[in-house]
Amino acid sequence: MTPSGRTSVLLLRLAGPLQSWGDRSTFNRRETRPEPTKSGVVGLLAAAAGRSRHAAVDDLAGLALGIRIDQPGSLLRDYHTVSDHRGRPLLSAAVSAKGLQKPTSPAKHTHITQRFYLQDAVFLAAVEGPEELITTLEHAVRHPAFPLALGRRSCVPAQPLLLGQRTGPLHDVLRAEPWQASSTVRKRWGRQNGNAARIDLPATLDDPAGDDVRDDVPLSFAPTRRTYTTRRTSHTYLSAPTGLTPDPTRPPTSGGHDPFALLGW
Amino acid sequence: MTQRLYIDVHVVQTVPPANLNRDDQGNPKEAIYGGVRRSRVSSQAWKRATRQHFDDQAPEADRATRTKRLTGELTTRITQNTALEREDAGRIAAALLAQLGLSQGKKASDTAYLLFYGNAQLDAVAALVTNEATDLAALDDKALADAVKEWPVAETFTTGHPVGVALFGRMVADIPKLNVDAAVQVAHALSTHETQLEFDYFTAVDDKNEKEETGAGMIGTIGFNSATLYRYATVGLAQLTDNLGGNTEAALDALDRFVDSFTLSVPTGYRNSFAHRTRPSLVAVVVRTDQPVNLVSAFEEPVPAAAGIQANSARRLAEEHLTATQVWGDTPLYAAASHTFSTRETRTKDTVETLTQAFGESVAFADLRATLRTRITTALGEQA
Repeated sequence: MTPSGRTSVLLLRLAGPLQSWGDRSTFNRRETRPEPTKSGVVGLLAAAAGRSRHAAVDDLAGLALGIRIDQPGSLLRDYHTVSDHRGRPLLSAAVSAKGLQKPTSPAKHTHITQRFYLQDAVFLAAVEGPEELITTLEHAVRHPAFPLALGRRSCVPAQPLLLGQRTGPLHDVLRAEPWQASSTVRKRWGRQNGNAARIDLPATLDDPAGDDVRDDVPLSFAPTRRTYTTRRTSHTYLSAPTGLTPDPTRPPTSGGHDPFALLGW
Repeated sequence: MTQRLYIDVHVVQTVPPANLNRDDQGNPKEAIYGGVRRSRVSSQAWKRATRQHFDDQAPEADRATRTKRLTGELTTRITQNTALEREDAGRIAAALLAQLGLSQGKKASDTAYLLFYGNAQLDAVAALVTNEATDLAALDDKALADAVKEWPVAETFTTGHPVGVALFGRMVADIPKLNVDAAVQVAHALSTHETQLEFDYFTAVDDKNEKEETGAGMIGTIGFNSATLYRYATVGLAQLTDNLGGNTEAALDALDRFVDSFTLSVPTGYRNSFAHRTRPSLVAVVVRTDQPVNLVSAFEEPVPAAAGIQANSARRLAEEHLTATQVWGDTPLYAAASHTFSTRETRTKDTVETLTQAFGESVAFADLRATLRTRITTALGEQA
């Protein structure tokens, strides 16, 4: 804890046409989680702060993370071809006497990989930690050392990325922040829900007493020692302001918890 | 460098019916944005087009080569520099390259890898031996290996990168020290408006078989769409300078050529079927000392087809740039644009006005590149 002992929360709006938050994909199938991973957010902050891949990230990984799903988006499968940089042909299904796969004959060189992206999604990420560190990170995101990306380099964030600092518990900060979905989505939702003042949004928060375990806390980003550890999280719904003006003649059709609201049903 | 500079490049480009970059069904790639279907060209596809464009323009020494025959290439250079026989030169070349620890390929003198290096880097390695070549050739294999052990061969390959490597990075999984972090970030190109996938149903007629069979020789379909694309890339000048060994002049050259090639290249997919080569209708460069700004949010609400897509896309881009600057109070160091819109047409008049407000009067593309370079040089001079 810092000398002052105060904590602060940094709010990031993770939005863009494409995002990709892989947690364990290697080889030819690069998947994405339906929401940003802790390693992805820590990686973004580390890149902003100009840390090399070999630099320690334990202070960043120690920050508490909360993700609110403002607009879930949908899955995009991208067909992608690559060649082995060593010029080696692909391996065939046949094996040699030693049990090793034989190269294809005639040699084929093009790998087909599937890359998955989230398209048209908007998340609100809240990072809580010592005030000094958060202030440093806020400055870093405003003046990043390396270009920032939403999980994969080609996924450039749309503006605004940085929403600034807030104080208070993670939970309350995520609840107070207005809904970040695109105006089209908000208007359509408003038409169906009498322009209700609040909407329930799903969120995942770091919680030592949580009942879910995620294996996405980075220990090191060094290419040869890339390792992760686990964290406990809990899922919840948070009621957030929609920024719409309620229509007094049409009371909201649903009150309280409405898990289907997000799907636009 | 105390301050970090980012150079954002924004391009609005209309592509006629085409299929630049296709998926496993053979159809143009797509993505949903703002709730509607858009045409998409992957960042990888456009980066490859960009890389090929500037390698075509570059002088031989500045080009990059990707080959397994590294030893042979080095041998040739040594024999050209000295009076040695090819056999002796080959021994020296092998001794020098042994330092890299590259796995050997099946054929003698081949490396197991296609190593991506700059021609200038190999020239520099060859230059190391020019003066002592005769002495080295007289040594036996073991003495030769000892003699060149301390020479800066690996250093040469980790510095003085060719432009392609410095911009787009390199990854050699087995030898992390040869890795280079990319200095450019390229976003997937997206259409500014809703697109529908269309199919061209075609028949091919057998020229020699007109009388007997009147039907087609073959039939098929090609998926295509036409789109006004928003393309965005950003160059981290600090990283680029680092990759080029701290050489600011080389970094400025690389940046200049990147802007040129990114703007003018077009992926070649189905080029002969669609002849889709177009030039952008708008190129804007923005130099920033804070964070790169992607203006794709200008098109989250799709541009309606009735409005005149090209001019409206350009106007929206300029408005988004102005709004972002006002709201976040982060005035860019420099902004300029080249575009093809004119005030003579009433339809594009307000587009031109907004563009002028955001990026200044339109300038010729060559002037845009020249001014960009001058402005960055001045900015770096002030920082120093």
